[in-house]
Amino acid sequence: MADASKPSGSKGAPRGARLLVVEDEAHLAEVIADNLELEGYGVEVVAEGTAALERIRAAEHDLILLDVMLPGLDGFTICDTVRAEGHRVPILFLTARGGREDRVHGLSLGGDDYLGKPFDLRELILRVAALLRRAEWWTESQQTDDSALVLGDARVDFRAYTAQVGDKGYDLSEKETMILRCLAERPGEVVSRADILDRVWGYDAFPTSRTVDNFIVRLRRLLEPDPRNPRYIHTVRGTGYRLTP
Amino acid sequence: MASLRTNVWVYGFIVAIYVTLVGWWVFFFSIQGDRLVDRIVADGGVADAVAIEALQAATGESAHMFLLEGGFLGLLMLGSIALVLRAMVREQALGRQQRNFLSAVTHELRSPLASARLYIESLLLGRVPDSKRERYLEHAHDDLDRLSLLVEDLLAARRFTEKGVEVDPIAMNLDELVAPLVERLTDLHRASGATIRFERAGPLPVQADPGALERIVDNLVSNAVKYGGEAPQILVRVGAEGDRVVIEVRDDGPGLRGEDAAHLIEPFVRGGDENVRTRPGAGLGLFIVRELTEAHGGRFSLTDRSDAVGALARVTLPLDRGAVAEASHG
Repeated sequence: MADASKPSGSKGAPRGARLLVVEDEAHLAEVIADNLELEGYGVEVVAEGTAALERIRAAEHDLILLDVMLPGLDGFTICDTVRAEGHRVPILFLTARGGREDRVHGLSLGGDDYLGKPFDLRELILRVAALLRRAEWWTESQQTDDSALVLGDARVDFRAYTAQVGDKGYDLSEKETMILRCLAERPGEVVSRADILDRVWGYDAFPTSRTVDNFIVRLRRLLEPDPRNPRYIHTVRGTGYRLTP
Repeated sequence: MASLRTNVWVYGFIVAIYVTLVGWWVFFFSIQGDRLVDRIVADGGVADAVAIEALQAATGESAHMFLLEGGFLGLLMLGSIALVLRAMVREQALGRQQRNFLSAVTHELRSPLASARLYIESLLLGRVPDSKRERYLEHAHDDLDRLSLLVEDLLAARRFTEKGVEVDPIAMNLDELVAPLVERLTDLHRASGATIRFERAGPLPVQADPGALERIVDNLVSNAVKYGGEAPQILVRVGAEGDRVVIEVRDDGPGLRGEDAAHLIEPFVRGGDENVRTRPGAGLGLFIVRELTEAHGGRFSLTDRSDAVGALARVTLPLDRGAVAEASHG
């Protein structure tokens, strides 16, 4: 048995990561900050929307825990604004508005995960760790030399989030780029849907493995000469996908 | 929103068709006399001045009739459309208010629930140093207090709207009740930076329910703390004015900011957008104050201060004349 006071999710999570907790309820902010500090993170707390936006813009944090209903500026607007400005820092919504519509709205604005209040302490810690792991993997893989993937006529640029197919250029979303990177890291090997979910979306991700399939369908349409008979991105039934460049 | 706009278009279209039709008939009858004369002449008949006049008079009457009846029907139609649209606008406002209320109550229930749960889980998981254990327990306790207050408010509001307000008045001195209460509230709100002053002129005998009066003062002071800006300076004053006693709570905040006081007092109404919550609350405090005050035969008003910036909440209650007479004789 693992020590109950140390949730297993912290394993492999980058200690010393800097987190910004945006929460106007003083009690909640305190207990969240205490627990995250106990996990070895550096935690800064902001209680007001406009100040939070400024702190996120300063780009000093590895993860933002963002409440939605805030004085000054609401969390959805903050997320929308920083994403439009090109900030890619992971955002975990922590909010009393846990309805499905609000979740979908938050994620569609570029939020990375969504946790409705009240939530389980261990779940919070696991999700934070997963989001940090994911962000760390992505940052590291973006820093490696191989920044492109060539599949026949198609060339994917991982840094620019673009694909060039013949003489046509396409923009890729962050998730699409991440899925391709995830497959390209292990060419010729089977990568399970669970692995992809864990890498691209994080622990116990809100999307299901169907979501991965939908992304693959779109990527095939973009990159495969004949999407019905894929040459590069193969389905391994019941398991996942394999990339053969 | 979409349905209201669609309806406005549909009604606009109906009105346009109606106006065109009535206009056409009026126009038709106004030229009908001349056309009949032309036709009689064209068919080889004779149209003398008398016949022409009679024909024109008859068709002119028809045109008038159409104009009058058409106008009357048109007014009826516009009136009923206006009624329907007004009902729709009201329904929308009500829907918005309900959504705001649900949003506020959801937040008010879930936030203290979430922090109480995290404090307790942290303790259970042994993640709290000894130096902080007591603080965690106190905070969890405060959170539960906040929850039970909200539940009480919700139940009170429901009871008031369904069964009316029940109070149990006894003879008492208002100033003696309010003085210790203000002291308690000063301690309670110190953390939020509020300063509360108390001015009294006594004795102020009233027939009142002490629990209800405490609730009134508590809600008014909490409201002033919430909406009185940063580090609000609050003045609680009790005194007599003629045959009434008055409780006033003034703050130096931004005041009502043009919002309608009567609207703010309605249950479940909170100023502003719920996404941009400036203060906690479910929008029940002032409603409860008004209901309790009126149950004592008193009046409650909320206005901007006339002497300075800020809001002034005022409760007046009837002075207990029996007690006054007894005191002057005793």
